Amino acid sequence: MVYAGGVDVGSTQTKAVIVDDQGTIISRALIDTGADVHGAAENTFAQSLKQGGLDKSDIAYVIGTGYGRYRVTFGDDQITEISCHGRGAVHMFPKTRTVIDMGGQDTKAIRVSPSGDIDDFSMNDKCAAGTGRFLGAASSALEIPLDDLGTVALAFTRPVRISTTCTVFAESEVLSWLGKGKKVEDILWGVHQSIAVRSFALLRRVGVEQEVTFTGGVARNAAMIKALEEKAGVQFNISEESHFMGALGAALFALDRVAGGQKTQPAAETDR
Amino acid sequence: MTTKISAGEIVGRGNREGATLFQDWYASLANTAEEGGRGAYVFVMGSFNEILKAFDLPIVFPEINSLQTAVRKVAHEYLRVAEDYGYSPDICGYVKADVAVQFSRGKHPMGRIPKPGIAILTNACNTYIKWAEFWERIHQIPVVTIDIPGTRDGIELEKQDAHDFANDQQYVIAQIKELIATCEEVTGTKFDIDKLREKMEAANTLSTSWKRIIELNKNQPSVFNALTDGTVFLGVANGFRGTKEGADYFTRLVEEMEFKAAHGIGAVDDEQYRLAFVGVPCYPIFRRFNEMFLQRGGTYINSTYLWFASGGANRGFEYELTDPINSLAEGVLLSVRSAMDSMFHQDRMLEEIADDYGIDGIVYHAIKSCRTVSTGLADARQSLSERRDIPSLFIESDMMDRRVVSEAQIKNRVDAFFEGLASRRQRADNA
Amino acid sequence: MTTVLDDWRLESLDESLYACRELVEDTTFPTVSKWREQGGKVAGHFQVYFPEEIAHAAGMLPVKIRGGPLVPVLADSHFGSYLCSILKTSLEFAMNGNLKLDLFVSHPICDAARNLAAIWGRNVNYPSQILYLPQNPNSSHSATYLSGEYDRLKRVVDRVSGTEVTDENLRNSITVFNENRKLLRELYDIKRETPWLIDAVDAYCLVSIGGLIPREEHNDLLRKMLPQIRQRRDKQQDRIRVVFEGGFCEQPPLDLLRMLARTCYLVDDDLLVGLRWLTEDIPLEGDPLFNLAESYIDRSTYSPVQHDLRKPKETMLLKRVEEAKADAVIVAAAKMCEPGLEEQVTYTHALDERGIPYFVSEFEENMTSFDHLELLVETFLENLLFA
Repeated sequence: MVYAGGVDVGSTQTKAVIVDDQGTIISRALIDTGADVHGAAENTFAQSLKQGGLDKSDIAYVIGTGYGRYRVTFGDDQITEISCHGRGAVHMFPKTRTVIDMGGQDTKAIRVSPSGDIDDFSMNDKCAAGTGRFLGAASSALEIPLDDLGTVALAFTRPVRISTTCTVFAESEVLSWLGKGKKVEDILWGVHQSIAVRSFALLRRVGVEQEVTFTGGVARNAAMIKALEEKAGVQFNISEESHFMGALGAALFALDRVAGGQKTQPAAETDR
Repeated sequence: MTTKISAGEIVGRGNREGATLFQDWYASLANTAEEGGRGAYVFVMGSFNEILKAFDLPIVFPEINSLQTAVRKVAHEYLRVAEDYGYSPDICGYVKADVAVQFSRGKHPMGRIPKPGIAILTNACNTYIKWAEFWERIHQIPVVTIDIPGTRDGIELEKQDAHDFANDQQYVIAQIKELIATCEEVTGTKFDIDKLREKMEAANTLSTSWKRIIELNKNQPSVFNALTDGTVFLGVANGFRGTKEGADYFTRLVEEMEFKAAHGIGAVDDEQYRLAFVGVPCYPIFRRFNEMFLQRGGTYINSTYLWFASGGANRGFEYELTDPINSLAEGVLLSVRSAMDSMFHQDRMLEEIADDYGIDGIVYHAIKSCRTVSTGLADARQSLSERRDIPSLFIESDMMDRRVVSEAQIKNRVDAFFEGLASRRQRADNA
Repeated sequence: MTTVLDDWRLESLDESLYACRELVEDTTFPTVSKWREQGGKVAGHFQVYFPEEIAHAAGMLPVKIRGGPLVPVLADSHFGSYLCSILKTSLEFAMNGNLKLDLFVSHPICDAARNLAAIWGRNVNYPSQILYLPQNPNSSHSATYLSGEYDRLKRVVDRVSGTEVTDENLRNSITVFNENRKLLRELYDIKRETPWLIDAVDAYCLVSIGGLIPREEHNDLLRKMLPQIRQRRDKQQDRIRVVFEGGFCEQPPLDLLRMLARTCYLVDDDLLVGLRWLTEDIPLEGDPLFNLAESYIDRSTYSPVQHDLRKPKETMLLKRVEEAKADAVIVAAAKMCEPGLEEQVTYTHALDERGIPYFVSEFEENMTSFDHLELLVETFLENLLFA
């Protein structure tokens, strides 16, 4: 059995995925990146090995991705997270033509060709508005755990419009609405809307072509899904593995290298 | 009888000689400054060097001065001075660096810049106008704004009713005559039309050579790097326009490039991806930026920068020396207009040359400082991609302000772009 | 003649002013749609100045394009970063169908806006052109040139409208617009002399609406309302007299003006100055096109985007402050407005030299929260009052 690995070193979290020669995920791991980027990469990989009951020597090829991809020194090569997210998304949902990836620090919009190649991409990593960072800021301003934000926001009845474009000032706008007696859920929905508007603007830069796949940690936020789908006017593909899409893509590229450059079949296409 | 020239002598000669000329120019400016002399401040789009050099005025290009502070990694000090004075972080970095130079009596990494005795600008860039207003206020010097009416309707570039062209040309002629009168006042010397002819003749050689050199890059492999080498050549094209040294330099440069083309000597050994650059270079990380592409097998074979930053000299307009003023007006009108078109209608112009130059990819570099060039880039890119299937990359940074240049982010995008180019090529090969 | 306003003649002054405000804030531009429904053609013109008489003479409705308080969902992806909002929202109206034009014309007022015509042209089906107004009005040839440029524009308008602009109908249009500018000057006299008689937002809307309706209707409206305003019995209050400088292109949201009006009298400003650009009547004798051109050069006010050695901006601002007997200046600029931001440096240094109090601010046309700004203004005014 051939195994390949992908390690996605993001600025907030590091993810690792191991796949078998069919591209099926055997094991995965996720930890906070912290200051020791190299250590995070090593530990995450070790954890995923452990979860899969495998040894380092079992893995034929490893690719590092994410902003810290050059820190994956035990890896065999590096590929950008743009290509990896595209690859992972198309593997999970073969009809994917557009990917929107929202992580803790940035947002990416990627357009892929039918064969999974990157046709165009646009990133918002200059400014926190329109990224998961704004959720982080709202979470601390409102003292609500990040994971609960979506559920709380969905209980909105009279949404508040957050207008400031800068996350730093938006925090004080959030607090000022609280001061004016607005409900937390209404404010939070406003926050989600604000992020959705900006992310959608990013999506429009590459052109929204169906099907759209939503990846990244924020893809598990039900309110974000609703807000974005409403803006885009289409339903998104969302996978349980949304957090691991980049690492999965990296692992699939790794598998390609093992197979001598020939691509593995995307999931659910094997019986064609 | 032709003398045999060796590759060792000729290859790279343009870069070497260009660097020397550049140093000489700044050394002479430093002398002028030390002696308390004044220079003529001009801009790359419509520098009117032909006239100014006919008055023997030392020529200063503040745009070039400013970009040098970025190349030499000291721009942030200069920007800070201007921002302390009140200029917003969001306005053109070139202006701000110059504000610092003016406030420090000409201090500059390349020596010293003399104060202006006169400033000449065109409306090809609106920032030129605000910039010159600053000089008016602090130096109280004559500032001559020359209107060059540009393309009115992007549908048909370069197709203007003769009657309307005549209206534009008459205006430029009148303004040139007014410029000459101002120069006479400022210098205290009489205008010499024969000297103007001489400068125009030299400019002819420069322009036609520049056009030829750019065209030589249609060759595969390309003979010069449009980003790095191109910037060296541009410096001479601007600073030495209308001079014998400039004309000679460009004649020799054509010789070098023709030699390389004839002998298959490329700008790089292994040319894999031929790229076009659109915009102003990223001066804060000038070398590194090019390396990011070079490392992945990408080489720049053309750049809109070589078009607009040479004031449209790439058009190769040749003045008619028997009718100097009218011909100068026509030439400037057409060239500066072409320069403006390369900023607003670059999609049409790129489309025209894509096949001839064998372009594999286009890199659009939008910068915070320059809205003239950058505002329309995203749309131009979209528009062109609807008509031609040429992969492209869109990067945003700045040409002066290190604070908004993120090397890591740029590298990420560049890598992703090449991953795309490679898989596209592989698909094409497999097909 | 085509009219687009509902019958306001029967309404009271307050009701009419309310109707004006509604129209100015309506991003569906119902007056323009109504004009089109009646078979009329529309010439959209961007900031700052446009010789509307030429389009008017061809029977077109000249519409001032000035962005708006909305999110440019369609247009945003056509632009990069570090740009003012007005470009995007303006294009948005063209792309979302709210503003259907037959012609779009802009002038290179700044490096960002001069790109608009090309972008616009790539995204619509009608001509999108640049009008080159002189940035060298000090040349002795500039009026001649501009006259020729106006003639070129005229020919475009002739073609698009299907109606020829003749000297006669041009003189008629000039008469209408001369009257309009005179009425607007009267409005500003009221603002300056008796600001308590008209709310700053109402005054603004009375100017702004002119860019959306036939000028004849605007004249009728002003002719009726100005005397009514003069006859109001409102009393003067103890408020600081301020000049608002920086609204020549992107417009501050009405709520921002409302907020300022709560504590100040806005006695003069450069808001929508393009609609009030000419300061005297255009002569009717002689070549009307030439007179129109000459007026742009010799009978005009100032803005940061027009270069003229005779009108250094800071000198003109000081004159404005003096003539309006203003106590202070709000030196504003739209976010990312390069000429506006650059002029702030000149203005503030000149005001410092004269010892005239001022307040520097940035705004964006679609901002909705002003807490920050309001606090700064109030503190500033408190300092003035106690100084």
